[in-house]
Amino acid sequence: MSALISNVLTQVFITLIAVAGVYVLTGLTGMFSLGQAAFMAIGAYASGLLVIRAHLPIPLAMLLAVLLATVVGYLIGYPVVRLRRDYISLVTLGFGEAIAALLNRMTTLTGGASGLTGIPRTVGLGITAVSAVIAIALVASFKTSKYGRQCIALRGDPLAAQAMGINVTRVKMIAFLLSVALTAYSGCLYAFYMSYVDPSGFGWKKSADWVIMVFFGGVNSLTGSTIGAFVLSGLPQVLRSLQNYRYVIYAVLVLIILNFKPSGLLGEWELTPRNVKRLFAGKKKPAGENKEEV
Amino acid sequence: MSLQILINGIATGSIYALIATGFALIFNVLKFSNFSHGATMTASAFVAYFLLEGRGLGLVPTLLVAAAAGALIALVGEFVGFRRILLNHSSATYFFVSSITLGTLYEGLVTIKAGSNFFNFPRFFSTPTINIGQQVISTSDVVMFCISMVALLILAFIIQKTRLGRALRAISFDRDTAQLMGINSTRIIQLTFVISGVLAGIAGVFLGIKYTLYPTLGSLVVKGFIASVIGGLGSLTGAVIGAVLLGVVETILLSLLGSGYSTIATFGIMLVFLLFRPQGIAGSNVQEKA
Amino acid sequence: MKKLIALLIALVMVFSLAACGSSGSSEPTAETEPEQEQAPAEESGETEEPAEPAEESGETEEPAEPAEEGGEILIGCLQDITGATSTLGSSVQAGAQAAVDEINANGGIGGKTLVMKTYDTKGDVTEAVNAFITAVTVDQVALIVGPPVANIANAIKETAEGYDVPVMGFALDPTCQIKEDGTAYKNMFCFQPSATAQGTIMAAYALQNGLKTFGILYNQENSYSVSLLAPFTDRLAEDNITIDEKLIVPYGAADTDYKTLLQPIVSAGVDAIYCPNYTQQLVAIEQAAADLGYQGKIITGLDGAPNFNELYGADCSNVYYINNINTDDPDTAEMAAAVEGQVSAVNKYFLGYDVVMIAKQCIETAGLDDPAALRDAIANVSGFEGLTGTITMDPATHMPGNMAMFMYTYDNQTPVMLGEFAG
Repeated sequence: MSALISNVLTQVFITLIAVAGVYVLTGLTGMFSLGQAAFMAIGAYASGLLVIRAHLPIPLAMLLAVLLATVVGYLIGYPVVRLRRDYISLVTLGFGEAIAALLNRMTTLTGGASGLTGIPRTVGLGITAVSAVIAIALVASFKTSKYGRQCIALRGDPLAAQAMGINVTRVKMIAFLLSVALTAYSGCLYAFYMSYVDPSGFGWKKSADWVIMVFFGGVNSLTGSTIGAFVLSGLPQVLRSLQNYRYVIYAVLVLIILNFKPSGLLGEWELTPRNVKRLFAGKKKPAGENKEEV
Repeated sequence: MSLQILINGIATGSIYALIATGFALIFNVLKFSNFSHGATMTASAFVAYFLLEGRGLGLVPTLLVAAAAGALIALVGEFVGFRRILLNHSSATYFFVSSITLGTLYEGLVTIKAGSNFFNFPRFFSTPTINIGQQVISTSDVVMFCISMVALLILAFIIQKTRLGRALRAISFDRDTAQLMGINSTRIIQLTFVISGVLAGIAGVFLGIKYTLYPTLGSLVVKGFIASVIGGLGSLTGAVIGAVLLGVVETILLSLLGSGYSTIATFGIMLVFLLFRPQGIAGSNVQEKA
Repeated sequence: MKKLIALLIALVMVFSLAACGSSGSSEPTAETEPEQEQAPAEESGETEEPAEPAEESGETEEPAEPAEEGGEILIGCLQDITGATSTLGSSVQAGAQAAVDEINANGGIGGKTLVMKTYDTKGDVTEAVNAFITAVTVDQVALIVGPPVANIANAIKETAEGYDVPVMGFALDPTCQIKEDGTAYKNMFCFQPSATAQGTIMAAYALQNGLKTFGILYNQENSYSVSLLAPFTDRLAEDNITIDEKLIVPYGAADTDYKTLLQPIVSAGVDAIYCPNYTQQLVAIEQAAADLGYQGKIITGLDGAPNFNELYGADCSNVYYINNINTDDPDTAEMAAAVEGQVSAVNKYFLGYDVVMIAKQCIETAGLDDPAALRDAIANVSGFEGLTGTITMDPATHMPGNMAMFMYTYDNQTPVMLGEFAG
């Protein structure tokens, strides 16, 4: 029982880190990646292989894996940040497929379709929980930083942002790399928690799931995205007894939110002391804050 | 590289074309990538299969039923997934999320009905292949090619020559102004979904004939997506050209490099193409506001 | 205020997530009790049950016959009910359920009713671990009927090591049962011949029938397909037959054109093409090969078995496949006929059936009080006469030692048994 809860929570925290990355990319910057899960795969495989084959200590392996993913992210980000939104999703989608093909093809290194076995199981609930909190804090401080506000500005109107002196490609690249690093790190945790990785689980559907989580909770709110990840990645477990009806219910729920609360569960609301105080004081919000980006 | 490979490529490309047109049509009008298109294909093919199961009817009734089912599913999808977003004038990103969710929903429903079994359409053609000299062409590919061409020509006619088509183009250009000019945009958008649903139904049946029926059959929508982007998002001609090109290039790479590496090479080519000709083959310049 | 409501909704959802475990633990009783009331009379259900697979996988429990004594034994069935290999999982589940019903109809195990609960893995390794942990910690099943998919078994093997619940599965790949140091994972078992045995049998059969040249088309993204590759070529190599690199063609899910893939193999005019792939792909491959005018034979793995012939819907006399069951045996044939049309992978149905029967035998000998004793009983199953052959487990590998398989072909579309082959 407690084993189940800790297992589900661990997985939710791992997802949460990836979703925090997607929030930076999609929520803050307005870019859609359908290949984000491929960076998770890179993180998982690279760190796993470095430990199994090169016998590196695990923290070092994780660090190197995140670095590797970031380098790959830079290469792929170079065209990505220069393209329009639909092309970004296409390029990242193709990238994800290419990575999956590579993992399948490089049998001697990765184990191919049979997957990579024998990764030591060292990560547990504690590490993932702490990591998730750090990741969210990181993203929260990014959001309020100069770069975060530039991201929001260029999401609204890239041209205007550029005219205001924002280096659009540079800011986009920073956001992209931050999200890649977070996703890759979640991949590292995944590998050392599951102790087994196979190439099948990192397709575009997974990336799309993360985007849905961000939208479900509130695309403009980190708190919302976090809750979205919590609810939606936990939901299939809650509905386990419903067997294959689970996904129908999941989809219906998301559709309801999209239809009737398009800005997501929380809209733009963030969990900050000021907002909490205001919530309980029941005061009317200033007019400006109520306008959700619709 | 033999002629046969080219033929195979065109056959693959023509099915991508069917997928890509339905995809591009929605993009043309609503400016978003409709990822539920794939699941619509699967669902309508399955509806046709179950309604006509064991009746021994031929290809044409199957196509008609699938097309009708596709139209209905797309119409429901428009209502459930997109209507309110449309009326709210939400950003296109919501359509994207909604369409993926809708796809999950359809796929889930198909899985409930059909997940635990294998299905395949009965054989529609008495002679499975046509031989021209040394080259072999599947009858199903030829029929598919012809039917796609007919469907696409009808579509082109509707869009270019009819009042409906004009209305559709007007809405594609500027929805609000078109509405002010007295065009019932909701009705036209519904019709667009119906047409894309019909194309999805036809594509679904041919996919089923080629690859048997299974709940994730529609994941080939990704190819339609790639094709329509290469073609120039929203352009129907571009989508068809892009699809055939994608089919041929993929097939050639497959025969040269083998599986796996051909996927990587396709990705590389696509990347280079997008960097040097971001407007796609047709060069239609869709302006978008984030 | 809107925000407050939204936040409240979110919180309620989070709490319902946290509460999932507790609601889960009450499920089995809640689900089984009404069903027992439904079937008070002994004649009810008896006629249809043995043959009836769960039509919808949502029904995890078929009506269980009440045993004379109270109490029940809960076992788990960890299968892909949705996802890419749902047909295989559903077939195993249907067979296992049929065995459970039959056991209960005959008085259960030691007077206790056997209850099986199904856990969907969705063909996803993460889901599989969740499902496994739910089964062993929340529902506390006595044992688990495992999946026929190597990736799933690989995903749960490390987790399973931490518990005392045996997983009686069908993962052909020996790495699912054996650690790198050569010892067995204590809880992981496989109840069908290994990939090595199956690949070797197929190669030996081909050689015995004078086939000399081969091509291979395999799915490099599928561990089942990949695991059958080396045993086949190794056996050929023993007879000094090597296959040209160019004729060993891998493919993946992104590839849609089997004709192009098959082209070089067909042009080379090989005697046989070895295709250890899943049924749906086999149908498309057989079709493409026929379109290309290929005249040789096609050797498939387990998945060329019915209902491949129905799906293909035309003459498939050139297809040779390996099977777990012998349909020349009247009992087997009768059972197979009874489930025809309801179960896709009939051989998986029998695997599921047999494994529950083995589980029953082991529970009867070892009891449920000492997990180690139960494990030992499973590891030392000897001479069990099942429908899938005589099963003797090798305690060192947790796989059957010398289990026989059957080679088949089709006469037009009718399966023809060719013979029994020892591993």
